[in-house]
Amino acid sequence: MADNSAVRDLGSALGSIASALESALTRFGTQGTRLQRRGRLGGLYLAELVPNLLVVAFGAVVIWSASLTISEASFPRHVLGIAMGLVVAALVWRYDYRQFAGMTRALFVLDVALMLMPSIPGLGYSALGMTGWVSLPVIGLRFQPSEIAKPVTILLMASLTSEYNGRIDTLADYLKLCGALLVPFLLILTQPDLGTGLIVLVTGAAIIICGGAKRSWVLVTIALIVVGAALVVVTSMTDGLPHVLKQYQINRLVVFMDPSVDPTGDGYNLQQAKIAVGSGGLLGKGVGNASQAGSGFLPEAHTDFVFALLSEEFGFVGALVLLLLFACMLFSTIGLAMRLDNVFGRLVLVGVVAMWGFQVLQNVGMCIGIMPITGIPLPFVSFGSSSMISQLASMGLIQSVWRYRTKAG
Amino acid sequence: MALRVLLVVVVVCLVVAGVLAFVFHSKGDARFTFDIGGAAPKAAGGTDGSGGSSIKGRLVGLAGVIAGVFVVLIGRIWSMQLLSGDEYTSQAESNRTRTISLSAPRGRILDRNGVEIVSNRPSLTVVADPDVANDDVELQLLGNLIGMPYMAVKRSIEDQTQGAQASRTVARDVSRRVVAYIGEHPDLFQGVSVEERTVRYYPLGSLASHVVGYTGTVTTEQLKASQENEDEGAIKYQTGDTVGQSGVEYQYESVLQGVRGEQVVYVDAKGNVLDYSSTVAPRSGSDVVLTLDANLQKAAEAALDSVIKALRSSVSAECKSGSVVVLDATNGEVLAMASRPNFSPNIFVGGISNDDWESLGSEENDYPLVNRAISGTYPSASTIKPLTTFAALDDGIATPSSTYYCAGWWTGLGQASGKWCWQKTGHGTMTLQTGITYSCDVVFYEIGKGYYLASSNNDGMQEKFREYGLGSLEGIDLPGESAGRVPDAAWKYDYYSSFPEEDRQWKGGDYVNLSIGQGDLLVTPLQMACVYASIANGGDVWTPHVLKCVKSQTGTGSVMEYKPSVLRSCEESEAYRKLVEAGLVGVITEESEYQTKHFAGLPVSVAGKSGTAERSGHQPTGWFVVYAPADDPKYVIASALENATWGGYSAMYVVRDVLGAIYNAPDDELQVMAGITSGD
Repeated sequence: MADNSAVRDLGSALGSIASALESALTRFGTQGTRLQRRGRLGGLYLAELVPNLLVVAFGAVVIWSASLTISEASFPRHVLGIAMGLVVAALVWRYDYRQFAGMTRALFVLDVALMLMPSIPGLGYSALGMTGWVSLPVIGLRFQPSEIAKPVTILLMASLTSEYNGRIDTLADYLKLCGALLVPFLLILTQPDLGTGLIVLVTGAAIIICGGAKRSWVLVTIALIVVGAALVVVTSMTDGLPHVLKQYQINRLVVFMDPSVDPTGDGYNLQQAKIAVGSGGLLGKGVGNASQAGSGFLPEAHTDFVFALLSEEFGFVGALVLLLLFACMLFSTIGLAMRLDNVFGRLVLVGVVAMWGFQVLQNVGMCIGIMPITGIPLPFVSFGSSSMISQLASMGLIQSVWRYRTKAG
Repeated sequence: MALRVLLVVVVVCLVVAGVLAFVFHSKGDARFTFDIGGAAPKAAGGTDGSGGSSIKGRLVGLAGVIAGVFVVLIGRIWSMQLLSGDEYTSQAESNRTRTISLSAPRGRILDRNGVEIVSNRPSLTVVADPDVANDDVELQLLGNLIGMPYMAVKRSIEDQTQGAQASRTVARDVSRRVVAYIGEHPDLFQGVSVEERTVRYYPLGSLASHVVGYTGTVTTEQLKASQENEDEGAIKYQTGDTVGQSGVEYQYESVLQGVRGEQVVYVDAKGNVLDYSSTVAPRSGSDVVLTLDANLQKAAEAALDSVIKALRSSVSAECKSGSVVVLDATNGEVLAMASRPNFSPNIFVGGISNDDWESLGSEENDYPLVNRAISGTYPSASTIKPLTTFAALDDGIATPSSTYYCAGWWTGLGQASGKWCWQKTGHGTMTLQTGITYSCDVVFYEIGKGYYLASSNNDGMQEKFREYGLGSLEGIDLPGESAGRVPDAAWKYDYYSSFPEEDRQWKGGDYVNLSIGQGDLLVTPLQMACVYASIANGGDVWTPHVLKCVKSQTGTGSVMEYKPSVLRSCEESEAYRKLVEAGLVGVITEESEYQTKHFAGLPVSVAGKSGTAERSGHQPTGWFVVYAPADDPKYVIASALENATWGGYSAMYVVRDVLGAIYNAPDDELQVMAGITSGD
């Protein structure tokens, strides 16, 4: 009996926390609404846009400092990526996002096509051990289709899930949605790009969960995924059994559990990233003074480990500012979703929030040693135009949701 | 590790809490039912918000999860940057800085007049960056140019024991041609350069090599010892340092070594130097001024060489080794010290080859590294007779007026134990004094017998020998000194432990042997020089030493002067001294016409004693020890030649040549080696 009441107490406590959070988020959205209604920028959701652009600007400063010592980090190319991304974002913003809800089939085809592009002979381009790039003939532009596929997958899953209007009652429907999500996930794994695959998986799962999947199914699915992942890891580490994971991926897991195992490979990278973050202190070493990144001790300082570079240059204050800006972006987006009465719009926002949230957790987490090393970029900050354009397009999507919002319920 | 697990647990807990929150919260909406039953409203643009509250609950859950993520990330970053910031900062600092050591030139070694015996010279050294080891073509080219095998070049470049310096030594003392070729072909030899380094230089060749010693790369034991030494100002060696390994180089290592400088540089991840930070200039080692006189040393070595050569070509083909030491009796300064065979310390410069090292340590070559003047031990033979005399007089075994009769054959211990005097025709009637002068063995056999028969104080002879320092170290400031041996009953019993009980006993014959310095007694030339210094000085022996002073390499004046001290003082009655001194002067002036002639050309009178240590199966060890001038002694000279002949026909020439160099009075007498019959 006592146990039951304790559970009930916990439940009600969590419930009250949740309702407090809910009202706060709603108010956040309302504030934003009030703010917007009067201004000339009525079509822009400034509560999300302003912190987002500040993150982009902050990221540009960091990449500029990286360009001083890292030849691959071309600042003009980064600015070009931002510019292209802003153009795409503006186009998406002007476009009525609701049109996407009826394009399920077209989105699915586009998604699959993007995933398969790198595998087409003559188009595919390999780097860093995976065939994740496409090199367009004639103009020679290289981009990562899987980055573009991220917002496409969000739209696809949101359009599919919104069909059920918030309640997925039959197991068949649930499995259909899960199956639809597995297609892009498995295609990405063939490149192989486990990092992007995980983003797609987490994003789609968030949409399905928020789209009304029964919690028992969700819990069973999560349990199955955990067991499946454990099986994959165990068989990959056992001789004689099929190795699904590559050796470098196993190494990363091993290093994550015990960084002292491999002081020169991934363990070294992780150690150098942690030294870079930790040595930043409160205020950082200043722009251009990052010895870890500037002298080559920190690998990939402008891409995967860009957060370590930022923390080294700007210290705890800089890292805190960046994370708070991200938090503003995410909570204002959730706030917008709360106030929206359009299921598709809500699920699109959920997908964007889940994508950014997971990427921030994974990328920052790996720099500070609480997540395994994967090649996931930090949105709006990491060097790389494909990611920048795709993420700015996602920002445009949020703005479009705002622009074409229906009357708040 | 524990922290990591804790963090993972916290993350998992937060995620689980978030999931639970949205699961529990949305429970409230369970009552709401909406039948989509095939007539699902079109979501896009639809206005039916009936599913809204369920989604709302899950959005709150999503917000909770996101909030949890940020709390964990910020918490972890706060802990890393603010709590552990200093630790990470020092790690980052040690990442980007390297300390390059700047070696300090070693101090020079000078003779008493400032003549350089050991100094330094620049050596053109080819060095290469570590990554040259990966370029096979360049390695091959470099090997061909220097004349080294490909693998040897590769190995020396890959050798990391030279420290963190960017460049590794490939070859030393390369020719100007090699330097020019490398300079003219920078495209062929990328990462290869030529540096001017400082190495040991011996302007006088192998002169005094046993005294100055040699240098070598610091050994693992020395490295460990220096690192464990916590003393203030103690030298901390690094791998590859050059340190003194023998002689003065070893003895005064701490003075000669100098203090290494340090250059702190900023490097990138590949080890390339980006910038220079602080520099601590190296302090060169101090110069050591020896008591040796380079000219006298040269004369002493020339004397050894010429006498050994003459002996080899006449009476003893196996004569190869010997030594001579010249002391200043008035203060213990070693004026010359030479040993044969010798070695060239130059072959140790830049690392000695294995073949050279093995040949220096082989018995076949008579161990050239051994300084026989302080490490060579031989029976003293007749040179001990003055001490036997003092012992006998002090212990009442004999008196100044005692007389003895030498018939050549002595049967004092019975007919079965009869012994010859060296002069088998006999000396006739002898006293203690003439016994010394003519080295009559019978006189000393009688003294030995006297000790054997004495009712008390049978060990008086050994006590006297020990009082004069035999059997113990003289404490000269050179490594490797031997203590020698003064045998007695206890020693013999222990030493011959595997022999029958009867043979282990100390017997009359042992006393007799000891009285003439044969048998088991072992002494070094330095010890005999000190014995005669005591006789010359009327008791005092000054601690023998080779250090005169230490001078700073820059500036003038000495940093430290050696303060001579009296090592021991041996009391004898004046009458006994007179007797022994007269006996020793007689050796030069009376013993043999032949000997007298050789010393006749000197402007001063000399006192001394010869000795011939018997060795079964070999030629004897020839001894000669003198002091001069006899009336106001200044110099003590002791020489011993192994596998030679009678001391008066071998070591005597060495001593005489040294005296000739001191007094500028060369020995005009022809050195007749052939037809030697007697002369002890």
